[in-house]
Amino acid sequence: MDVTGLVLRAAAARPHVLLATLPGGTAARLEAERVLRLRDWPLAATPAQADVLLVAGPDCPDLRAAVNRLWQDLPAPRALVHAPGAGGVEPALETGQARLGSRADQRPRAEEPGRTTRGGDAGGPHHQEPRGGEDHGEGHAGNGGSHDDGDGDHHHAAEARHGDSQAGPQDHHDGPEGHDGGNGGTGRGHAGHEGHGGHEGHGGHEGHGGHGGGGMEMPGGLPMADQGEDRDGLTLDQLHVPLGPLLADWPAGLTVRVTLQGDVVREAEVEEPPWSDITGREAFWVQPWLRAAAGEPVGVGEAARRRAAAHLDSLARLLSVAGWPAEAIVAKRLRDDLLDGAPGASVAPRLERFARRVGRSRTLAWMTRGIGQVSTEEAREAGVSGPAARAGGDVTDRYRQWLADIRRDVGRLEGPSPLRPAVDESPRGCWRDDDPPSAALIALLPNLLTGAELAAARLIVASLDPDPDELAAARGTVGAHD
Amino acid sequence: MTEAGAWWTLLAAPAMLLALAGLAAAGHAVLAARDAGRPVGPAAMVRPFTGVPRALLAQPRRLPAPDVLLWRAGVITVPVAAVLSTLVIPFGGVTVADLSVGVVWFNAMEVLTWAGLWLAGWGPDAAFPLVGGYRFLAQGLAYELPLMFALISAATGAQSLRVGDIATSQQGLWYAVWMPVAFIVYLAGVLAFSFLGPFAYPAGRDLAGGVMSETSGADRLVLRAGRWLWLAAGAAMAVPLFLGGGAGPGMPAWAWQAVKTLLVLAALVLALRRLPMIRADRYVEFAWVVLIPLTIVQVLVPALVDLNR
Repeated sequence: MDVTGLVLRAAAARPHVLLATLPGGTAARLEAERVLRLRDWPLAATPAQADVLLVAGPDCPDLRAAVNRLWQDLPAPRALVHAPGAGGVEPALETGQARLGSRADQRPRAEEPGRTTRGGDAGGPHHQEPRGGEDHGEGHAGNGGSHDDGDGDHHHAAEARHGDSQAGPQDHHDGPEGHDGGNGGTGRGHAGHEGHGGHEGHGGHEGHGGHGGGGMEMPGGLPMADQGEDRDGLTLDQLHVPLGPLLADWPAGLTVRVTLQGDVVREAEVEEPPWSDITGREAFWVQPWLRAAAGEPVGVGEAARRRAAAHLDSLARLLSVAGWPAEAIVAKRLRDDLLDGAPGASVAPRLERFARRVGRSRTLAWMTRGIGQVSTEEAREAGVSGPAARAGGDVTDRYRQWLADIRRDVGRLEGPSPLRPAVDESPRGCWRDDDPPSAALIALLPNLLTGAELAAARLIVASLDPDPDELAAARGTVGAHD
Repeated sequence: MTEAGAWWTLLAAPAMLLALAGLAAAGHAVLAARDAGRPVGPAAMVRPFTGVPRALLAQPRRLPAPDVLLWRAGVITVPVAAVLSTLVIPFGGVTVADLSVGVVWFNAMEVLTWAGLWLAGWGPDAAFPLVGGYRFLAQGLAYELPLMFALISAATGAQSLRVGDIATSQQGLWYAVWMPVAFIVYLAGVLAFSFLGPFAYPAGRDLAGGVMSETSGADRLVLRAGRWLWLAAGAAMAVPLFLGGGAGPGMPAWAWQAVKTLLVLAALVLALRRLPMIRADRYVEFAWVVLIPLTIVQVLVPALVDLNR
């Protein structure tokens, strides 16, 4: 009797999936979230909790290192699959589950001196080589081609930071030495461990000493935190943590580098979107506007449907960050139904109930009041034109504005008149090729985040919910015009 | 009257608590399935338990500089404290350990989770778990004092710290009826020390799971089980404290107690889905400015009643 196989299959009955959405992968992400919701496969928030890493969206060379680090952090048994588009999601998930339950794929690394299973792994069109690495070229030289051996050594300095931020992109800038090259960044990410002198005893635990920039021998090879004045005039350790680009419930591809003291953001800096190659990236939420701008006939109803779904998606993210998973899933379900083409009448009653519960929740309002204040004037000055500007206020005002907009849009799903992209607002504001609305939203972030507590910072980003895909789309169209 | 149980009750109590926690998790899964538009049925109920073989199989976590000893100790403390807390809860007139200071014992076990969760956040030596661990301390500062006053209200009413005495002293009128503030504050406290639903702040999704974000495999299973065990223990304790214990017409004491416990547990599971997460930075203010004075006044009520008796 194959007991190991049996246990593996039992464990693979309900895999937890870590979804890494690449820029331009919104359609794949939506499909993945829908499938996972219907199959009841939980969405993990960190690699530690996941069995399957699903990479959604067209391959993005700039984020390979980040994806790879997530993969290194997944505890075995594990599987890595890739779905470039919405169509690839189901087969990719099937492949992932099959691999989790198959002994050949989960055999410990020590048993296979060569890459014996590699050929077999290339089975489907929608996944990458599961053993971690060398497909991704850079960042792994010198590791002897094996990343899986007992999960011990090479990458762990990079690890703690992942849980935090699910990987920042900086490894990528750091020379040829693979994971170790990333330690400059890692150390900074780790620096948060405020003077844990007690940890000294663990120095060299993983044979990792001496990677830190300072040249001092530190626990796990991590440099100590630098210190700085905090808002109360105390000298506190500073911790440099990148938020994004693959963080759960976060705009895909956006990276904000924050300096934390305790859990208060001292400084925030938005990183330029790292991706250089924008071919094949579609901006899912503004598609109707792009198509209308290109001269295709698009109905107002279709645009309203897309806009309502986009707001529901943003709301789901906000509710998730605000810690209300029960209502977040309701929002996602409504969003999926709308995108599926459900008639307004069938969605309306559920939407009403949802809007009432969320919109009138005093607790949620109490938790979000006064966070991320942006008055209408400030917003307009900064070039924001969408719901964020109309709401003119804090996080509470913005989600209530979304709810109002969704209700209005769901009443207009059957509008036949053609969409005028210059007049009808796209989900995040008036669509302009040279200045997409999300660019203004992103520009607001550093000021709003500075001084906010970490939870508030997450709420602020979620309540503005900029869509980095728009930037790529705008660049694409501008490029085409040139 | 309550009597100390035979040796086998020492095994029966954790088993019953585990069953109760399992029921709560299953109920929660069914509600989640309904909201997500999945078929609701027995299959949906057992879904969460497929995580058990998965967790046992998963590789333990290895981080660059973890404090493994403290991390493990913290993780294990949470469910162990939950189980220990039930030793003083009478069930059908029998309790495992009929301590004269049962209420204090329960409270002390609950405070152990402070240490447990904070260590679980400290251990992995990573930013988000650490923030999560500290969040629990902030949350503790907010919920603990009102909870203590709520417990003291019931004890003052019965003029005893023995849980069995508190249950029997509610002949005719439940404490939940004439000490509603204490009852509600106690239930909120239960959600808080099981860090679920509105009090999931230490394990918030905005921290990618906070104290849970770096645990995997068996550690994670233990920590998650700890949450549900605490919820079950809190529901079980609510019955002798506020709902008259096993008193009731027509049925034996154990049956009444089981029914009441299940009802409290169901109410808690419903509540934890109906509220968004309450951040401690805002809750502390509410707790200290509103709840503490309210609960102190609440303690005064049974104290004055006792004096005039």
